[in-house]
Amino acid sequence: MNKHKPQHELQHKQAFDEPLWWGLFSAGGVCFAVLLPAVILFIAVLLPLGLLPANALNYERASALLFSVPGFLFVGAVICLPLFHAAHRLRHGLFDISVGSDALNKKLMYGGAALLSVFALGLVIAGMLS
Amino acid sequence: MDKSSSHRLLPLKRNWWLKHRFFKLYMLREATVLPLVFFILCLLAGMVALLQGAESWQGWVDFMGSPIVLVLNLLALAASLFHAATFFVLFPRVMPLRIAGHSLPDQAIVAGQWAGVVAVALLFFWLLGRA
Repeated sequence: MNKHKPQHELQHKQAFDEPLWWGLFSAGGVCFAVLLPAVILFIAVLLPLGLLPANALNYERASALLFSVPGFLFVGAVICLPLFHAAHRLRHGLFDISVGSDALNKKLMYGGAALLSVFALGLVIAGMLS
Repeated sequence: MDKSSSHRLLPLKRNWWLKHRFFKLYMLREATVLPLVFFILCLLAGMVALLQGAESWQGWVDFMGSPIVLVLNLLALAASLFHAATFFVLFPRVMPLRIAGHSLPDQAIVAGQWAGVVAVALLFFWLLGRA
C-alpha cells in the first residue's frame, strides 16, 4: 500500500487521497469490463465497417443520442471513469518498471484523466446548448 | 519495517516481471489500458467531430475505418475482454455474496457479470442494430 512513499515520509504523512484513487479505479474497472466490450464493438468495429443500418449512427441520430442527459451519463461511464482506471494502472505500471518519479507520475496521470474528463463532459454540454 | 531492514533490500531491476509467467500476465493486464486509452482518444475526437457538423462526423467514421485504427480498436476490444476475465474473478473474493445464509458460489458471481456484458451488448443491438 505504502510502497510508493520513501520510508522517512511514511511516518509523518498519511495518504488521505489513496482511497479516492482506488475507488475511481474500481468504478472505472467495472465500466471497462461491463460496458466497453459492447461500446468498442458497435462504435469502433461495426460502425466503420458499415455493418450497422445506415441511419443507426448518422449525424442526426448520433447528435440526438450523445447531446442528451443519457449521453452525459454515457460519457461519464465510458470515458471519465475508465480514464481514471487507466491513469491508476499506468501510474502503478510506471512504478513497476521504475520510470519517472511516482509523485510526478501521480499528478500527470490523475491530472490528465481529470482534464480529459472535464473536456469530454464539456463537449456534451456544448452540444446540448448548441 | 524498520530502517535497518529496508537498507538491506536491493532495488528491483526493471525486468523483474519477465522472470515468471504470473508476473508477465500481471503486466499484460496492466497494459490493457494502453489500447483502452487509444479508443477513448478516438471517441473524444468523434465527439469533437460531431459537434463540428455532418461532414466532420462522416470524416471521423472514415478515419475509424482506416486499417491501422481498426486493428488498434480490435486490440482494445480484446483487451477489454481480457480485463473483464481478470476483473470478474476478483469480485467474489473482495465481496462474497450470501443469500439466505448460503454463500453464492464464485462461478455464479462470475457468470452473472458476464451476463451483464451480454446484456449491455443486447442493449446496444436494440438501440443501433435494427434497420
